[in-house]
Amino acid sequence: MTKKQPEDTKLLVLPGVLVDRLKETSNKRGTSLSGYAIEVLEEALRAEKLGATLGDAVDAYRMREIHRGAGAMVVPRSSLGELVKDLKKSHAEDFGKLWEAAGRWYGRYLLGKLGVEEVLPFLRQDLLTSWNLDDVEITDGDEATLRFTGFMMSEEFTDLLVNYAHGLMESLGYREVERDSLRGMATIKYMRVKKG
Amino acid sequence: MLAAEEDLANRVAQLAEKRGLTVYQTVNDILEQALRAEGQGLNLKEALDRRGDMERAHEMGLTFTVEHLYYQVVDAAYGRDKEKVRDLWRDMGFWYGKYFKGKGGEPVKDLTDALAFMTHGSQFTAEKGKGDELTVSCINERYTRGYTEVFATFIEAAFQVLGYSTVENEASRGIIRIRLARR
Repeated sequence: MTKKQPEDTKLLVLPGVLVDRLKETSNKRGTSLSGYAIEVLEEALRAEKLGATLGDAVDAYRMREIHRGAGAMVVPRSSLGELVKDLKKSHAEDFGKLWEAAGRWYGRYLLGKLGVEEVLPFLRQDLLTSWNLDDVEITDGDEATLRFTGFMMSEEFTDLLVNYAHGLMESLGYREVERDSLRGMATIKYMRVKKG
Repeated sequence: MLAAEEDLANRVAQLAEKRGLTVYQTVNDILEQALRAEGQGLNLKEALDRRGDMERAHEMGLTFTVEHLYYQVVDAAYGRDKEKVRDLWRDMGFWYGKYFKGKGGEPVKDLTDALAFMTHGSQFTAEKGKGDELTVSCINERYTRGYTEVFATFIEAAFQVLGYSTVENEASRGIIRIRLARR
């Protein structure tokens, strides 16, 4: 695949299907195609040294940027847990509504940002990360199911997430038809709302 | 064909071997990922530099939440029992101070970096002053009064564990300025 060239260079074969896109991107950046490709390869090798792949790094960074754009902040997990637990009796209904509204807003934001095709696949990883869950499954289609598990998740957080998911899925065009939840896990079924 | 320096080409070949792919497949995959990032308006270098943020947050017991909801929760609790909420933040501050102290490395720098990470979107600075003094400031117009006060308590407590005592603590809605001196 690599051919020895004079002056300590080797030729790497570039995939033909990518060349036009690479040209377009390098032109936009004001660099040559080879300059751009070499820069990318160097970054990929750096990623490897850091124990990551370029794809993983891009996905993680993209999620961070989406969270940032949605007004998410980083807080000590214990602080939120303690406070929500403490306020549960007096504020349960208010918090439920607030989290539902936040989920609805976030769903709309994701639709605008990612487009309908990408939202559900993105959400799986997003919920895993931002709610510190151990497992998330989302099945797509006219009948969708969201199933999540968080072994260390409190009852209060579980309720908040269920409310959040309710708002979120509603804004993506799904109506909740069945809910089964207990501390740290829930299975929620949805039907796609037909337009018109 | 791409003319690459021999060293780079060899390293790409090594990477391909490690992944059990051909050089062609490896180059293809890498360039595809780069173009995907470009298509999403992401900077590859920055993506790589910040790739560990999510993991780091997880390791430090941090979570992501909606900013305005968090302030509402804190304010509701603070309005009900100020002392209890302050104690909670003080304990968390001690916990983080001990966490960075126990981790080795440079605890003051690590704590400062973590605070900068947690306060992204705010104007956060930690400046060395005369002698062993350190002034930590954080300005964010969205901080509520309750949150400003408890967050200042958190910062103060974390630095106390690292051997600092408070010379001055000014916290008014959206503005925190704490002058610390090493004991």
